[in-house]
Amino acid sequence: MKITGYRIRKYEFTMDRPIGDANGPTGEDRSFSSFLFIDTDEGITGISPSGSDYVANLFHLLEGEDPRGVVGLWKKMQDYVFKGGNEGERNAAISAIDVALWDLKAKINDEPLWQTLGAREGRCKAYASGIDLCLSDDDIHKFYSRMADVGIDGGKLKVGLDMKADLRRLDIMNECLQRVTNRPRLCIDSNEYWSPKQAIRYISQIEERYDLTWAEEPARRWDYDGLRKVSRGIKAAVATGENINDLSDFYPLIANEAVDVVEFGQGATGITGARQVGHFAYAYELPVAMMNCQGNFMAHLAAALPNHMMMEVVDPGREPCFTFDNHIEDGFIHLGEKPGLGIEIDEAKLAELERDRPSARFNAPFARREGAGLYIVPPQPGEVPWN
Amino acid sequence: MDLRLTSLRLVPKLRTPPTNVRALVGQPGTNGNNMKITGVNTTVYESNLNHKMGDANSPAGRIRSGGLVVEVSTDEGVTGVALHGLSARNQIHSLCDQVLVGHDPRRVRGLWQRMVDKVFKGGHDGLVGDAISALDIALWDLKAKAADEPLWKTLGGARPRVNAYASGLDMPLSDEELFDFYSMMAGHGFKGGKLKVGLDQDADIRRVGIMRDALKKATDDPVLLIDANEYWSPKQAIRKVREMEEQFDLTWVEEPARRWDFLGLRRISDSVRAAVCAGENLDTLGDFLPYFHHHSADVIQVGAGMTGITGALQIADASYGFELPVTLGGSAGNFHAHLAPAIPNFMIQEVGSVTTDPIFTSDVRVDDGWLVPGDKPGLGIEINQEELRKHAVEKLSPVSGPSPFGRRPGAGLYEVPPTPEEVATARSL
Repeated sequence: MKITGYRIRKYEFTMDRPIGDANGPTGEDRSFSSFLFIDTDEGITGISPSGSDYVANLFHLLEGEDPRGVVGLWKKMQDYVFKGGNEGERNAAISAIDVALWDLKAKINDEPLWQTLGAREGRCKAYASGIDLCLSDDDIHKFYSRMADVGIDGGKLKVGLDMKADLRRLDIMNECLQRVTNRPRLCIDSNEYWSPKQAIRYISQIEERYDLTWAEEPARRWDYDGLRKVSRGIKAAVATGENINDLSDFYPLIANEAVDVVEFGQGATGITGARQVGHFAYAYELPVAMMNCQGNFMAHLAAALPNHMMMEVVDPGREPCFTFDNHIEDGFIHLGEKPGLGIEIDEAKLAELERDRPSARFNAPFARREGAGLYIVPPQPGEVPWN
Repeated sequence: MDLRLTSLRLVPKLRTPPTNVRALVGQPGTNGNNMKITGVNTTVYESNLNHKMGDANSPAGRIRSGGLVVEVSTDEGVTGVALHGLSARNQIHSLCDQVLVGHDPRRVRGLWQRMVDKVFKGGHDGLVGDAISALDIALWDLKAKAADEPLWKTLGGARPRVNAYASGLDMPLSDEELFDFYSMMAGHGFKGGKLKVGLDQDADIRRVGIMRDALKKATDDPVLLIDANEYWSPKQAIRKVREMEEQFDLTWVEEPARRWDFLGLRRISDSVRAAVCAGENLDTLGDFLPYFHHHSADVIQVGAGMTGITGALQIADASYGFELPVTLGGSAGNFHAHLAPAIPNFMIQEVGSVTTDPIFTSDVRVDDGWLVPGDKPGLGIEINQEELRKHAVEKLSPVSGPSPFGRRPGAGLYEVPPTPEEVATARSL
């Protein structure tokens, strides 16, 4: 079987609700996304739910190759981008290609990807994550109640700008999840907004009231000394890693005991790269947690990792033009039996939403907020619906 | 055909937050004394290198090369120039449109911060880092031009005289060509040289000797440097370097292991006499933290590709705090020489070429082995627009495209010496 071509199709849509964090408390409900399709001479197509224009610069490495050699092709791409490094858009393109190749490999085997990856069963534990700093208290209650309805017993609240509000909202999340268990797994996430000592003060204060499972990104992604300091200064685990590119970025974090729960998604250089990080963490006795994604497709890999703890489920309505073959029940993501990632495109809907570039309505979210790492700038009147 | 890509927006595209948070988000200045950025032009060009270049990852070498001319325009007709960001053209335009247009280019460090914060989630590395670098360089050029002074003065340099070494990127050169290159450079007064090594130990030892002999024209005791471009594993590096050190006093060994392998690099530094020099493929100050904390590198490589001149100076200052000397890498027209006088722990700068480029002229001259930035305002780089039009291309040909230096098979595992085909290609260039 041979790779013959690729297509990238971009689309813009409105989610069911906005998402926001300490850097973007106002939130954003528009989303711009893309698919990468990799075609073969046997008519089977591999899909990645996120593409990148930079694929154009790498495709010559793939053309004519057998897509089943996905790990070898991953290495070929890595070596090609050697000098400039596996970062930014180069990384995004390799990640997208790798996901589409794994989809192809599993489809050629006529089996779901979790099986190709060697998982014993197609499921992994889930936790609820509202990306909810922009939500009202009522909407937080609704979200975590809906998640408790499907058995989810852990939640992660976006925090960092207003201690009083954070405590109140943790209460709401806790209460919703207590319908599932007496002691829900409570996590908080400040998205690199604090300095290490700010984090220690802030988290320690929260820990006077709550048993936190983890504090996520309490300092900058690369600040392994600071992250280790936070880990030693609080009771909760430090979770970090979602914003870094590959195993080489995880190396200082893991080797210096800066991370207690290793987080990654397809951005850790695809399924191949993410699996390497998972195994590296396993050697250090560290649990890993899969980052959220459209259609929860990375659950295929999570199911096959020996040290996977729980995967982030956001479910803001990000799948307007494809269906996916998994559902949440009893607190687990259950993957189905459809071949590959189990993603099927709704062509009519995609055609309706398709566009070359973002419209004026789309503001690329998640710039860094003023004051980050220095002093806290609380939400101003009108910025959030809860103050 | 005009191949320049132009962005010109008079009204900056900014998010429209509620009025009461406007102060937090930051708006273009409104006082009367403002110079304003109006847009950016970029032009891709292709030209011949002065000689064929290559390293352990590309022993066959290349003679064609691509480049990008970035011109940031202002409402006062002054233009800021950068020769950087070939792969990041789209990112340069979108960042300039979204963050810079309407602002005063003289507030370059604040604009650097705005760009870095804007791309927070995805990170300021990779292509986005290249784009920030290119724009930051052009802003510094503008700032110095606005003050009608050379950039080294704007940066606070006191003595425009910069220690330098010759660097042939010379893996594809034959022994004779190698001798000729370093003899020529010694003729210009260069007293140090850096050889690309890694694939063939016997050849490397022979060629270090050739380089030394050529440089003896300029000094009795040439500074000898070697560079393996991440081709070795740490223990391979230790074996190779120790064997070379039986014959030569090496000042540094560059990139003897992977860029991120801070433990491996330290191990090498602990086991060889030469300094470990590393960092040129890192992107940001954050990337250097493991090096600093673990004493992984003894000489820190800094360049304007590390989020611009602003980022480069931050890394240099951090190195200073750790008592580590800084070396500046090769740069278009050797413009890095403007940074050197402002770096307290500056050691030496890499020079690949002393000949002129068809596309631009530089005000950095070579004076008996030293680089001397002149008195022309800004970077002192002047684009020859006619030549640029002649060399402009819509798309780079594969032989000069970005990312030419893929990683060579065997890297970190076993050496794969140049094949007969590669040697033949190198000879033919």
